[in-house]
Amino acid sequence: MPGSNAILSKIFLKNVLSNRLFVAIVAVFLLFAFGEIIFPGFMSFTHIMSVLRLSVFLGIVALGQSLVVISGGIDLSVGSLLSLGVVISAYFLRGENINIPETLVIVPLIGFAIGLISGVGISYVGIPPLIMTLAMASVIEGISLIFTKGFPSGNAPPLLETIGSGKIFNFPYLILLWGVIITIVTLILKRTKWGYILYGVGANSLTAELSGISAKRFRMYIYGFCGAISAFAGLLLLSYTGTPYLNLGAPYIMPSIAAVVIGGVSLAGGSGDYLGVATGCIFLTTLTSILVALQTTEAVRQIVYGSLILILVVTHARRGRE
Amino acid sequence: MNIKGGLKEIYQNPSLPSFLILVGMITVNAILQPTFFTYRVFKLNFLTFTPLILVSIAQAIIIIVGGIDLSIGASISLLTVLMASIMGDSFSSIILTLVCAFGLALLISLFNGFFISYIEAPPLLVTYATWIILFGIALFIKPTPGGYIPKHFYQAYRGDVLHIIPVPVLILIIALLIWSVISKLRIYKHIYAVGGNAEAARASGINVSLTKLKAFLLSGIFVALAAVCVVSQTATGDARCGLGYTLNSVAASIIGGISFSGGKGSVAGAMMGGLILGLLINVLYFANITSFYQEFMKGLIIVVSLAIGMIPKLRGERSTV
Repeated sequence: MPGSNAILSKIFLKNVLSNRLFVAIVAVFLLFAFGEIIFPGFMSFTHIMSVLRLSVFLGIVALGQSLVVISGGIDLSVGSLLSLGVVISAYFLRGENINIPETLVIVPLIGFAIGLISGVGISYVGIPPLIMTLAMASVIEGISLIFTKGFPSGNAPPLLETIGSGKIFNFPYLILLWGVIITIVTLILKRTKWGYILYGVGANSLTAELSGISAKRFRMYIYGFCGAISAFAGLLLLSYTGTPYLNLGAPYIMPSIAAVVIGGVSLAGGSGDYLGVATGCIFLTTLTSILVALQTTEAVRQIVYGSLILILVVTHARRGRE
Repeated sequence: MNIKGGLKEIYQNPSLPSFLILVGMITVNAILQPTFFTYRVFKLNFLTFTPLILVSIAQAIIIIVGGIDLSIGASISLLTVLMASIMGDSFSSIILTLVCAFGLALLISLFNGFFISYIEAPPLLVTYATWIILFGIALFIKPTPGGYIPKHFYQAYRGDVLHIIPVPVLILIIALLIWSVISKLRIYKHIYAVGGNAEAARASGINVSLTKLKAFLLSGIFVALAAVCVVSQTATGDARCGLGYTLNSVAASIIGGISFSGGKGSVAGAMMGGLILGLLINVLYFANITSFYQEFMKGLIIVVSLAIGMIPKLRGERSTV
């Protein structure tokens, strides 16, 4: 009957449009189309791959951030942890493939330990996450400086450089790696006990306490994991750049939070998933690359990026209260 | 009142830890710099401290009402760039510039306040977005540092009143006076009420959104004041000058005993926090600690003072930020 068809399609449209993931994917597509109009070749396979590859770093940082935000907190130290990861990785790798295994263990471990410090301050001393991680960011930045004495040394070994810049069947390794990570993370979040507890802890629900998990201890460990993941992101970034630089992580802090918001994770904690966040990372990275390609001045880039974040924040604020 | 009761009151004052730290800071400073208590050094110190203290007041107001303002540093950047771009030698030009600066500061406050109070978007993200936008505008106006501030204007800042009060100190005294006037008004109680428990405040008839908006406007006044000091001190417009002020204002508020769950702490405490932070930076400089260690030490001090500050307070307070 014609009437119910109309109603059915209205319901379908409403459900599809209110699906944040769908909207995010469409937004990315539109952005690429826009880029193609201005720069023919923007939507070429190679270029899409290179933009996607660039998104991976933000994607990993945003992963750690998502976990923390779902648990009910926020982490402003992810950038400085990435920076630290870069310089420590370079130092231990020293350009030799042999050093890869030990570096793969040491770097996330250091990140985990530092993250735990934040976690302790937040969970047990009661310092608000914003402040604790903000202060830790300065401390970690200082550690980077002290560690390198201002001159980062070492570089990525050939194997890691291949993973960082290489491709297989025209697909960059990093993107494949990210795909695997996205799958694993989504499975853990949605299908395992740990994911369930994470959402419970974030929502402060009784079920979390009833399942015998200390919410405080769990949250503390989440900050540890975020630290490990952020430091690992630094290792990945080093694979891409080859040589270490100081302060590579600063541009990732706030975009990681923006990506989390875009991806539909509530800042109050307890809900959201990583796939939307990953899409958000792609969106933000694509936007930045368009702005850079347009040879806009830093001033214009800042204004555009800031206005965009504002629009996103405002629209999500309204939706979040529905 | 007996002595024991009086002592207990002092002991429980939330600003006491800050005061003690302040005394400690002054002592360390005096040790490292023998000329610390001379008038010249006193004035020199306050030339740099005053903007920081004013910015700490601005941030404290926002935190007390339950939010945070990450755009303060960018506001300083934009305001100083604006002033250095349009100020001329004539008296009328100076007045016009100052009016524009204060007007812009209030406009920025309105902007932030609107999205936070009425759209109810998270203050952290809104002021972060504003930060980026304002910084972009400042860069647009002055991609490289430049501009002009008339000599008689900035000399005034570096001058003295009655030969014993440096102008920066006078500005701080005026700021304190402004705030003590405000503390007698209704808005003062409203700000603390909303910060402490917005729902309860709403239930008792307070217009929460309007209160938050007014808090932002009040904060803007102090930001503008700080910008005037900064531009007088540097005599130039630099889009990147404000970057450090945001984190410093947050740190100063923490050190000054402002609680991030809102509704607690005093502006006087924030001022002390700003002073302590300024003295700390001095200490780091005079102790010949290399710039490598300075950021690290600043962060460390903040973490430590946080830990000390949080322990006696109630645990389990959820931050509203």
